[in-house]
Amino acid sequence: MKTFTAVFIKQVKDSLRNLPSLMVILIYPAVAWIMITAMGSQEDMSGFFVPVFAAMHCSFAPIMISSSILSEEKEKGTLRSLMMAGVSMVNYLISISVFVVLAAMLTGSLFLMMDHSTSSYAVTFTLAMLAGEVLSTLAGLCIGIYSKNVAAANGMAVPVGLVLALLPMLARFNDGIAKAAEYTYSGQISHLLEGGDVTAKAICVMAAYFAALWAVLIFLFKRSSME
Amino acid sequence: MNNGSVISLEHVTRSFGDRLILKSVSLNVNKGEIFGLLGPSGAGKTTIINILTGQLSCGGSAEIFGVSCGKIGGEVYRRTGAVLDNCGLYERLTCADNLRLYARIHGVAFSRIKEALALVGLDGCEGKKVKALSKGMKQRLALARAILHKPELLFLDEPTSGLDPATAAEIHSLMNDLRRDGTTVFLTTHNMDEAYRMCDRIALLSDGTIVECGEPGELCRRHCSTSELRIVAVDGEKLSIANTPENAEAVAGLIRGGRLQSIHSSEPDLGTVFLRLTGKELDK
Ligand SMILES: Nc1ncnc2c1ncn2[C@@H]1O[C@H](COP(=O)(O)OP(=O)(O)O)[C@@H](O)[C@H]1O
Ligand SMILES: [Mg+2]
Repeated sequence: MKTFTAVFIKQVKDSLRNLPSLMVILIYPAVAWIMITAMGSQEDMSGFFVPVFAAMHCSFAPIMISSSILSEEKEKGTLRSLMMAGVSMVNYLISISVFVVLAAMLTGSLFLMMDHSTSSYAVTFTLAMLAGEVLSTLAGLCIGIYSKNVAAANGMAVPVGLVLALLPMLARFNDGIAKAAEYTYSGQISHLLEGGDVTAKAICVMAAYFAALWAVLIFLFKRSSME
Repeated sequence: MNNGSVISLEHVTRSFGDRLILKSVSLNVNKGEIFGLLGPSGAGKTTIINILTGQLSCGGSAEIFGVSCGKIGGEVYRRTGAVLDNCGLYERLTCADNLRLYARIHGVAFSRIKEALALVGLDGCEGKKVKALSKGMKQRLALARAILHKPELLFLDEPTSGLDPATAAEIHSLMNDLRRDGTTVFLTTHNMDEAYRMCDRIALLSDGTIVECGEPGELCRRHCSTSELRIVAVDGEKLSIANTPENAEAVAGLIRGGRLQSIHSSEPDLGTVFLRLTGKELDK
């Protein structure tokens, strides 16, 4: 618990001073807000923008942030210092993940305030966002553990994050993409964020990703600690 | 393992891929001494520290405080501190925030932070961001972090490499203070003067094994009873001749023949000991 709090507090302070990561976590709520405000006088567009940007937010931001935190700590040698002070890798990963999910939820909650039509299914909306953030954080940790430095991590996190974030939006315009998007967790989450029903398929797809990402994470973790 | 040993390595091996870096390393570090591991860069000094701190697995037996290095837990980590070859500081955070993180991890009162900063000569730097510090200041901050929880054993991986002489001297004087308080120091360096002046005992690491181990003065006497003359001839040929009367004619011959470019007598220092034992230069 001591090391959990220590690393968590460190991360809060560090992220608040890290402009690029602040931007990543605020960009989608900010853009959504700007769009809604710009369209303000016309018909209420928030029902369209909020689910779209919320889906992008919860798939893109956690991947970027968790992978860059982890890879930066590896690159700068700060992780090794922590390990030598007796912080276990598992403890460290838990602290970082909790931080990333909380930060993404906090900024993600701005979406709920922008759009009143989501209030009828606020619980589903929140849970869907949470699920997306947990899955994306897992994916980000995989990338972070796999990469030796920040550049390598970004090189992987950006395309993965973009595909996950944009696929559900592009699915609106193309049937082929729509079919593919159904098999990504971000596609299912986007559907839930729009107020769609919680289907068995949605649960299955998300559970499959959850299991697969855990397996990859454990594999990469074992490999890195075998040294 | 004898009772005084804080660190004990027996026939430790380690390879990366198919490169055998440590062939068989055996050494003991006694409580309260400054122990120096001296070797050229790439010899495997950092690798040994990584093994001792449980970051790398190895063959043979490695123990610290009588615990096998593969099974180190919180108890041992609380008794050790380390300054690594790369400082491992959070650049965006202030000095105090960097230390607060470790104070929380070790369960040390925050009042100790000011104390530790003062010890390394960083008084008043609490609010400074690490990225605004010079290399020497960063190294001292890393040292403050390592001694924050008053460890019994301190690992210092080339703590003065690349630092100006004044900062290096400050770090040396701090090491002496720590020894006075009974802290055991495991120091790696490729600087023979540092090893000679600071260490109670040293081990010379070359080709994956410890080629010699003992008190620095003792080693010099044992291996450098005669000094050497290093001569460079005009044609670039390098000669190494023992500084003894029977070689006088050979040297004189070079001078008479106009072949002498430069001549140096090599002092009986650790560099010479290393050269004699391994045929390699230490400081390269
Ligand atoms: N993680 C690693 N993977 C592959 N090779 C490594 C690794 N760590 C160290 N080495 C190699 O082991 C040798 C010894 O490295 P190191 O212990 O850092 O030397 P020193 O600290 O004495 O300069 C070097 O040749 C280095 O390339
Ligand atoms: Mg080294």
